[in-house]
Amino acid sequence: MPDTHSTETVSNIGEVEFGSELPSFAPDTSTDNTKRFGKYVGWDSPRFTDHEGARKEGLPGAIVPGVLSQGFLGAMIHRWAPDAEIIAIDTVFRAPVLADVPHTITGTVTDIDEDEGTVEIDITITNEAGENRVFGTATAKLPT
Amino acid sequence: MRTARRAVGGFDVRIGGRSVATALGNESQKANPKVILDLHTHSIKSDDGRAKVQNYCQWIRAKSVPIDGFVLTEHRQFDFESDYSELASKFGITILKGAEVETEYGHVLVFGVNEGLYNEFDFTTIGLSLENVIEKCEKHGALAAPCHPGRPRVGMVAHLEEHGIPNGVRIVETKNGGSRGDEDEVAAKMAEDLGYLGIGGSDSHIVSHIGRCATRFPTTLATEGELVEALKAEEFEAISNKQ
Repeated sequence: MPDTHSTETVSNIGEVEFGSELPSFAPDTSTDNTKRFGKYVGWDSPRFTDHEGARKEGLPGAIVPGVLSQGFLGAMIHRWAPDAEIIAIDTVFRAPVLADVPHTITGTVTDIDEDEGTVEIDITITNEAGENRVFGTATAKLPT
Repeated sequence: MRTARRAVGGFDVRIGGRSVATALGNESQKANPKVILDLHTHSIKSDDGRAKVQNYCQWIRAKSVPIDGFVLTEHRQFDFESDYSELASKFGITILKGAEVETEYGHVLVFGVNEGLYNEFDFTTIGLSLENVIEKCEKHGALAAPCHPGRPRVGMVAHLEEHGIPNGVRIVETKNGGSRGDEDEVAAKMAEDLGYLGIGGSDSHIVSHIGRCATRFPTTLATEGELVEALKAEEFEAISNKQ
Protein backbone atom coordinates (compact mmCIF):
# COMPACT_ATOMS: atom_id res chain seq x y z
CA MET A 1 0.00 0.00 0.00
CA PRO A 2 1.56 3.33 -0.98
CA ASP A 3 2.54 5.67 1.82
CA THR A 4 1.73 9.03 0.31
CA HIS A 5 2.37 12.31 2.03
CA SER A 6 2.98 15.95 1.28
CA THR A 7 6.31 17.61 1.97
CA GLU A 8 4.67 20.74 3.40
CA THR A 9 6.31 21.52 6.74
CA VAL A 10 6.51 24.20 9.42
CA SER A 11 9.63 24.99 11.41
CA ASN A 12 8.32 27.16 14.24
CA ILE A 13 5.08 28.13 15.94
CA GLY A 14 4.95 31.47 14.15
CA GLU A 15 4.24 29.63 10.92
CA VAL A 16 1.21 27.82 12.32
CA GLU A 17 -2.28 29.10 11.61
CA PHE A 18 -5.48 28.17 13.44
CA GLY A 19 -7.45 25.74 11.31
CA SER A 20 -4.56 24.74 9.08
CA GLU A 21 -4.52 21.13 7.98
CA LEU A 22 -1.55 18.87 8.37
CA PRO A 23 -0.60 16.90 5.27
CA SER A 24 -2.74 13.79 5.41
CA PHE A 25 -1.43 10.40 4.45
CA ALA A 26 -2.50 6.81 3.89
CA PRO A 27 -0.80 4.62 6.48
CA ASP A 28 0.49 1.18 5.65
CA THR A 29 -2.21 -0.95 7.28
CA SER A 30 -1.15 -4.15 5.51
CA THR A 31 -0.85 -7.37 7.48
CA ASP A 32 2.76 -7.46 6.29
CA ASN A 33 3.29 -4.28 8.27
CA THR A 34 1.35 -5.42 11.32
CA LYS A 35 3.38 -8.66 11.27
CA ARG A 36 6.58 -6.63 11.13
CA PHE A 37 5.36 -4.44 13.98
CA GLY A 38 4.33 -7.47 16.04
CA LYS A 39 7.71 -9.06 15.51
CA TYR A 40 9.58 -5.94 16.65
CA VAL A 41 7.49 -5.39 19.78
CA GLY A 42 7.07 -9.07 20.63
CA TRP A 43 3.29 -9.01 20.29
CA ASP A 44 2.51 -11.34 17.43
CA SER A 45 -1.17 -12.02 18.10
CA PRO A 46 -3.30 -13.40 15.25
CA ARG A 47 -5.77 -10.59 15.84
CA PHE A 48 -3.21 -8.25 14.31
CA THR A 49 -1.65 -10.47 11.68
CA ASP A 50 -4.16 -12.98 10.36
CA HIS A 51 -7.73 -12.30 9.23
CA GLU A 52 -8.97 -15.84 9.91
CA GLY A 53 -7.35 -15.92 13.34
CA ALA A 54 -8.88 -12.55 14.16
CA ARG A 55 -12.35 -13.73 13.11
CA LYS A 56 -11.99 -16.66 15.49
CA GLU A 57 -11.59 -14.04 18.23
CA GLY A 58 -14.84 -12.38 17.18
CA LEU A 59 -13.30 -9.53 15.22
CA PRO A 60 -14.33 -8.65 11.66
CA GLY A 61 -10.75 -9.27 10.53
CA ALA A 62 -7.20 -8.50 11.53
CA ILE A 63 -6.86 -5.08 13.11
CA VAL A 64 -4.05 -2.55 13.29
CA PRO A 65 -2.69 -2.37 16.85
CA GLY A 66 -3.74 0.81 18.63
CA VAL A 67 -0.19 1.79 19.45
CA LEU A 68 0.75 1.43 15.78
CA SER A 69 -2.15 3.74 14.89
CA GLN A 70 -0.82 6.22 17.43
CA GLY A 71 2.59 5.85 15.82
CA PHE A 72 1.06 6.79 12.47
CA LEU A 73 -0.49 9.86 14.07
CA GLY A 74 2.82 10.87 15.60
CA ALA A 75 4.55 10.36 12.26
CA MET A 76 2.06 12.72 10.62
CA ILE A 77 2.89 15.41 13.15
CA HIS A 78 6.64 15.02 12.70
CA ARG A 79 6.34 15.09 8.92
CA TRP A 80 4.52 18.38 9.27
CA ALA A 81 6.74 19.82 12.00
CA PRO A 82 10.04 17.90 12.06
CA ASP A 83 11.33 19.80 15.10
CA ALA A 84 8.13 19.41 17.14
CA GLU A 85 8.15 17.70 20.49
CA ILE A 86 4.97 15.67 20.85
CA ILE A 87 3.71 16.27 24.38
CA ALA A 88 0.65 14.03 24.15
CA ILE A 89 -1.42 11.95 21.79
CA ASP A 90 -4.85 11.35 23.28
CA THR A 91 -6.99 9.00 21.23
CA VAL A 92 -10.52 7.62 21.44
CA PHE A 93 -10.86 4.29 19.62
CA ARG A 94 -14.43 4.23 18.32
CA ALA A 95 -14.05 1.29 15.94
CA PRO A 96 -11.21 -1.00 14.89
CA VAL A 97 -8.80 0.05 12.15
CA LEU A 98 -8.95 -3.01 9.92
CA ALA A 99 -5.75 -4.32 8.42
CA ASP A 100 -5.45 -4.44 4.62
CA VAL A 101 -8.14 -1.74 4.37
CA PRO A 102 -7.23 1.77 3.15
CA HIS A 103 -7.46 4.47 5.79
CA THR A 104 -6.56 8.14 5.89
CA ILE A 105 -4.90 10.00 8.71
CA THR A 106 -5.68 13.68 9.10
CA GLY A 107 -4.79 16.46 11.47
CA THR A 108 -6.05 20.02 11.94
CA VAL A 109 -4.73 22.75 14.21
CA THR A 110 -7.46 23.75 16.65
CA ASP A 111 -5.56 25.74 19.26
CA ILE A 112 -2.35 27.76 19.43
CA ASP A 113 -0.72 28.85 22.65
CA GLU A 114 2.15 31.10 21.76
CA ASP A 115 3.19 31.63 25.39
CA GLU A 116 3.71 27.91 25.83
CA GLY A 117 4.82 27.34 22.25
CA THR A 118 2.28 24.57 21.88
CA VAL A 119 -0.39 23.69 19.38
CA GLU A 120 -3.36 21.38 19.75
CA ILE A 121 -4.25 19.21 16.80
CA ASP A 122 -7.44 17.31 16.08
CA ILE A 123 -6.41 13.89 14.79
CA THR A 124 -8.52 11.30 13.01
CA ILE A 125 -8.19 7.97 11.28
CA THR A 126 -11.00 7.42 8.78
CA ASN A 127 -11.81 4.62 6.39
CA GLU A 128 -12.85 4.95 2.76
CA ALA A 129 -16.49 5.47 3.79
CA GLY A 130 -15.40 8.53 5.75
CA GLU A 131 -16.15 6.85 9.07
CA ASN A 132 -14.08 7.99 12.02
CA ARG A 133 -12.47 4.89 13.45
CA VAL A 134 -10.13 6.80 15.77
CA PHE A 135 -10.20 10.42 16.82
CA GLY A 136 -8.56 12.54 19.44
CA THR A 137 -6.16 15.37 20.00
CA ALA A 138 -2.42 15.78 20.06
CA THR A 139 -0.41 18.47 21.77
CA ALA A 140 2.93 19.41 20.27
CA LYS A 141 5.56 21.95 21.27
CA LEU A 142 7.20 23.81 18.43
CA PRO A 143 10.26 26.06 18.38
CA THR A 144 9.40 29.71 18.93
CA MET B 1 -8.29 29.40 29.89
CA ARG B 2 -4.80 30.07 28.66
CA THR B 3 -3.77 33.53 27.56
CA ALA B 4 -2.12 35.11 24.54
CA ARG B 5 -3.82 32.95 21.96
CA ARG B 6 -3.61 34.27 18.49
CA ALA B 7 -6.64 36.18 17.23
CA VAL B 8 -8.61 34.22 14.66
CA GLY B 9 -9.55 35.72 11.35
CA GLY B 10 -9.80 39.26 12.65
CA PHE B 11 -12.20 38.52 15.49
CA ASP B 12 -10.40 40.98 17.72
CA VAL B 13 -11.44 43.80 15.40
CA ARG B 14 -14.29 45.78 16.88
CA ILE B 15 -16.99 47.90 15.27
CA GLY B 16 -18.70 50.46 17.46
CA GLY B 17 -17.74 48.60 20.59
CA ARG B 18 -19.02 45.26 19.30
CA SER B 19 -16.82 42.54 17.95
CA VAL B 20 -17.05 41.83 14.23
CA ALA B 21 -18.27 38.33 15.04
CA THR B 22 -21.16 39.64 17.11
CA ALA B 23 -22.04 42.19 14.49
CA LEU B 24 -22.05 39.60 11.72
CA GLY B 25 -24.05 37.15 13.80
CA ASN B 26 -26.73 39.69 14.58
CA GLU B 27 -26.97 40.90 10.99
CA SER B 28 -27.18 37.31 9.82
CA GLN B 29 -30.10 36.62 12.14
CA LYS B 30 -31.95 39.78 11.07
CA ALA B 31 -31.60 38.83 7.43
CA ASN B 32 -32.68 35.24 7.95
CA PRO B 33 -34.88 34.30 10.89
CA LYS B 34 -34.12 30.62 10.47
CA VAL B 35 -31.73 29.27 13.06
CA ILE B 36 -29.50 26.27 12.63
CA LEU B 37 -28.28 24.62 15.81
CA ASP B 38 -26.04 21.63 16.32
CA LEU B 39 -28.08 19.88 19.00
CA HIS B 40 -25.50 17.31 20.07
CA THR B 41 -21.95 18.26 21.07
CA HIS B 42 -19.47 17.38 23.78
CA SER B 43 -16.70 19.41 25.36
CA ILE B 44 -13.87 18.47 27.68
CA LYS B 45 -16.53 18.24 30.41
CA SER B 46 -17.43 14.82 28.96
CA ASP B 47 -15.14 11.91 29.73
CA ASP B 48 -14.47 11.27 26.05
CA GLY B 49 -14.73 14.89 24.90
CA ARG B 50 -11.57 16.62 23.75
CA ALA B 51 -12.89 20.01 22.60
CA LYS B 52 -12.74 23.29 24.47
CA VAL B 53 -15.82 25.45 23.97
CA GLN B 54 -13.76 28.47 23.00
CA ASN B 55 -12.12 26.44 20.24
CA TYR B 56 -15.54 25.34 18.97
CA CYS B 57 -16.42 29.02 18.61
CA GLN B 58 -13.14 29.88 16.91
CA TRP B 59 -13.58 26.96 14.53
CA ILE B 60 -17.13 27.87 13.59
CA ARG B 61 -16.08 31.40 12.65
CA ALA B 62 -12.73 30.56 11.07
CA LYS B 63 -14.26 27.83 8.88
CA SER B 64 -17.64 29.50 8.33
CA VAL B 65 -19.43 26.42 9.65
CA PRO B 66 -23.08 26.92 8.64
CA ILE B 67 -24.60 26.85 12.11
CA ASP B 68 -25.77 29.64 14.42
CA GLY B 69 -25.02 27.81 17.62
CA PHE B 70 -24.77 24.53 19.43
CA VAL B 71 -26.00 22.65 22.47
CA LEU B 72 -23.47 21.09 24.85
CA THR B 73 -24.91 17.71 25.77
CA GLU B 74 -22.34 16.31 28.16
CA HIS B 75 -22.44 12.63 29.02
CA ARG B 76 -24.34 11.64 32.18
CA GLN B 77 -24.32 15.10 33.73
CA PHE B 78 -25.63 18.62 33.46
CA ASP B 79 -23.11 21.40 33.70
CA PHE B 80 -24.72 24.00 35.95
CA GLU B 81 -21.40 25.75 36.61
CA SER B 82 -20.06 26.89 33.26
CA ASP B 83 -21.13 30.26 31.92
CA TYR B 84 -20.49 30.64 28.21
CA SER B 85 -22.37 33.93 27.79
CA GLU B 86 -19.16 35.92 27.25
CA LEU B 87 -17.97 33.53 24.55
CA ALA B 88 -21.41 33.53 22.95
CA SER B 89 -21.41 37.31 22.85
CA LYS B 90 -17.84 37.58 21.59
CA PHE B 91 -18.39 35.20 18.70
CA GLY B 92 -22.06 35.87 18.03
CA ILE B 93 -22.88 32.20 18.56
CA THR B 94 -25.74 30.70 20.55
CA ILE B 95 -24.38 28.31 23.18
CA LEU B 96 -26.94 26.25 25.06
CA LYS B 97 -26.63 23.40 27.52
CA GLY B 98 -28.35 20.03 27.72
CA ALA B 99 -27.36 16.50 28.66
CA GLU B 100 -26.95 13.02 27.23
CA VAL B 101 -28.22 10.38 29.63
CA GLU B 102 -28.24 6.60 29.32
CA THR B 103 -31.35 4.45 29.40
CA GLU B 104 -32.33 0.87 28.73
CA TYR B 105 -33.03 2.04 25.15
CA GLY B 106 -29.61 3.61 24.73
CA HIS B 107 -28.51 7.21 24.87
CA VAL B 108 -30.98 10.07 25.10
CA LEU B 109 -30.52 13.81 24.68
CA VAL B 110 -32.26 15.98 27.24
CA PHE B 111 -33.02 19.64 26.48
CA GLY B 112 -34.26 22.20 28.97
CA VAL B 113 -32.62 20.74 32.06
CA ASN B 114 -33.36 22.63 35.26
CA GLU B 115 -32.80 21.92 38.94
CA GLY B 116 -36.22 20.38 39.33
CA LEU B 117 -35.54 17.84 36.61
CA TYR B 118 -32.00 17.27 37.81
CA ASN B 119 -33.35 16.20 41.19
CA GLU B 120 -35.82 13.71 39.69
CA PHE B 121 -33.29 11.06 38.67
CA ASP B 122 -29.58 10.38 38.85
CA PHE B 123 -28.04 11.65 35.62
CA THR B 124 -24.92 9.59 36.25
CA THR B 125 -26.80 6.28 36.26
CA ILE B 126 -26.48 3.91 33.33
CA GLY B 127 -29.75 2.14 32.58
CA LEU B 128 -32.32 4.79 33.46
CA SER B 129 -35.92 4.12 32.46
CA LEU B 130 -36.57 5.97 29.19
CA GLU B 131 -40.28 6.33 29.93
CA ASN B 132 -39.46 7.77 33.35
CA VAL B 133 -36.97 10.21 31.83
CA ILE B 134 -39.60 11.34 29.32
CA GLU B 135 -42.25 11.66 32.02
CA LYS B 136 -40.00 13.72 34.29
CA CYS B 137 -38.93 15.90 31.38
CA GLU B 138 -42.57 16.67 30.60
CA LYS B 139 -43.22 17.47 34.26
CA HIS B 140 -40.38 20.03 34.30
CA GLY B 141 -40.79 21.58 30.88
CA ALA B 142 -37.90 19.70 29.32
CA LEU B 143 -37.75 17.31 26.38
CA ALA B 144 -36.01 13.97 25.81
CA ALA B 145 -34.95 12.63 22.41
CA PRO B 146 -33.13 9.33 21.86
CA CYS B 147 -29.90 9.94 19.94
CA HIS B 148 -28.09 7.88 17.33
CA PRO B 149 -30.93 5.31 17.53
CA GLY B 150 -29.44 3.26 14.70
CA ARG B 151 -26.18 2.62 16.52
CA PRO B 152 -25.51 -0.88 17.88
CA ARG B 153 -25.78 -1.23 21.68
CA VAL B 154 -26.28 2.45 22.50
CA GLY B 155 -29.12 3.18 20.05
CA MET B 156 -32.85 2.68 20.52
CA VAL B 157 -33.41 0.32 17.57
CA ALA B 158 -31.13 -2.29 19.15
CA HIS B 159 -33.43 -2.50 22.17
CA LEU B 160 -36.90 -2.45 20.61
CA GLU B 161 -37.14 -6.22 20.32
CA GLU B 162 -36.33 -6.74 23.99
CA HIS B 163 -38.26 -3.82 25.51
CA GLY B 164 -40.95 -3.03 22.94
CA ILE B 165 -41.90 0.41 21.67
CA PRO B 166 -41.59 2.95 24.49
CA ASN B 167 -44.35 5.39 25.32
CA GLY B 168 -43.81 9.10 24.97
CA VAL B 169 -41.12 9.34 22.31
CA ARG B 170 -41.87 12.06 19.76
CA ILE B 171 -38.44 13.06 18.49
CA VAL B 172 -35.30 11.08 17.75
CA GLU B 173 -31.94 12.05 16.29
CA THR B 174 -31.99 10.89 12.68
CA LYS B 175 -28.80 12.59 11.52
CA ASN B 176 -25.70 12.09 13.65
CA GLY B 177 -22.27 13.33 12.62
CA GLY B 178 -20.55 10.30 14.10
CA SER B 179 -22.69 7.65 12.45
CA ARG B 180 -20.98 4.74 10.74
CA GLY B 181 -22.32 2.48 8.02
CA ASP B 182 -26.11 2.62 7.72
CA GLU B 183 -26.80 3.91 11.24
CA ASP B 184 -28.55 7.07 10.02
CA GLU B 185 -30.62 5.08 7.55
CA VAL B 186 -31.68 2.68 10.30
CA ALA B 187 -32.63 5.67 12.46
CA ALA B 188 -34.61 7.31 9.66
CA LYS B 189 -36.45 4.06 8.90
CA MET B 190 -37.45 3.66 12.55
CA ALA B 191 -38.57 7.28 12.71
CA GLU B 192 -40.70 6.82 9.61
CA ASP B 193 -42.18 3.55 10.82
CA LEU B 194 -43.06 4.90 14.26
CA GLY B 195 -44.00 8.44 13.24
CA TYR B 196 -41.18 10.21 15.02
CA LEU B 197 -39.71 13.56 14.02
CA GLY B 198 -36.00 13.83 13.36
CA ILE B 199 -33.34 16.18 14.67
CA GLY B 200 -29.66 16.42 13.75
CA GLY B 201 -26.48 16.85 15.75
CA SER B 202 -22.81 16.34 15.11
CA ASP B 203 -22.07 14.34 18.28
CA SER B 204 -18.74 16.13 18.06
CA HIS B 205 -16.07 15.26 20.58
CA ILE B 206 -13.27 17.17 18.85
CA VAL B 207 -13.32 20.73 17.59
CA SER B 208 -13.23 20.09 13.87
CA HIS B 209 -16.31 17.85 13.91
CA ILE B 210 -18.80 20.45 15.09
CA GLY B 211 -21.67 21.24 12.74
CA ARG B 212 -21.46 18.06 10.69
CA CYS B 213 -25.15 17.58 11.36
CA ALA B 214 -27.60 20.08 12.80
CA THR B 215 -31.24 21.10 13.05
CA ARG B 216 -32.87 23.99 11.24
CA PHE B 217 -35.65 25.91 12.99
CA PRO B 218 -38.00 28.40 11.32
CA THR B 219 -37.73 30.92 14.14
CA THR B 220 -35.02 32.54 16.20
CA LEU B 221 -34.25 31.04 19.57
CA ALA B 222 -31.66 31.90 22.17
CA THR B 223 -32.42 30.00 25.37
CA GLU B 224 -32.90 26.41 26.47
CA GLY B 225 -36.56 27.15 27.12
CA GLU B 226 -37.05 28.52 23.63
CA LEU B 227 -35.32 25.45 22.24
CA VAL B 228 -37.75 23.16 24.04
CA GLU B 229 -40.68 25.22 22.78
CA ALA B 230 -39.34 25.10 19.23
CA LEU B 231 -38.97 21.34 19.44
CA LYS B 232 -42.46 20.93 20.87
CA ALA B 233 -43.78 23.06 18.00
CA GLU B 234 -42.54 20.21 15.77
CA GLU B 235 -41.38 22.55 13.03
CA PHE B 236 -37.76 21.75 12.36
CA GLU B 237 -35.60 19.83 9.97
CA ALA B 238 -32.55 17.64 10.49
CA ILE B 239 -29.73 18.57 8.15
CA SER B 240 -26.34 17.08 7.31
CA ASN B 241 -23.22 19.00 6.37
CA LYS B 242 -21.11 15.85 6.13
CA GLN B 243 -18.89 15.71 3.08
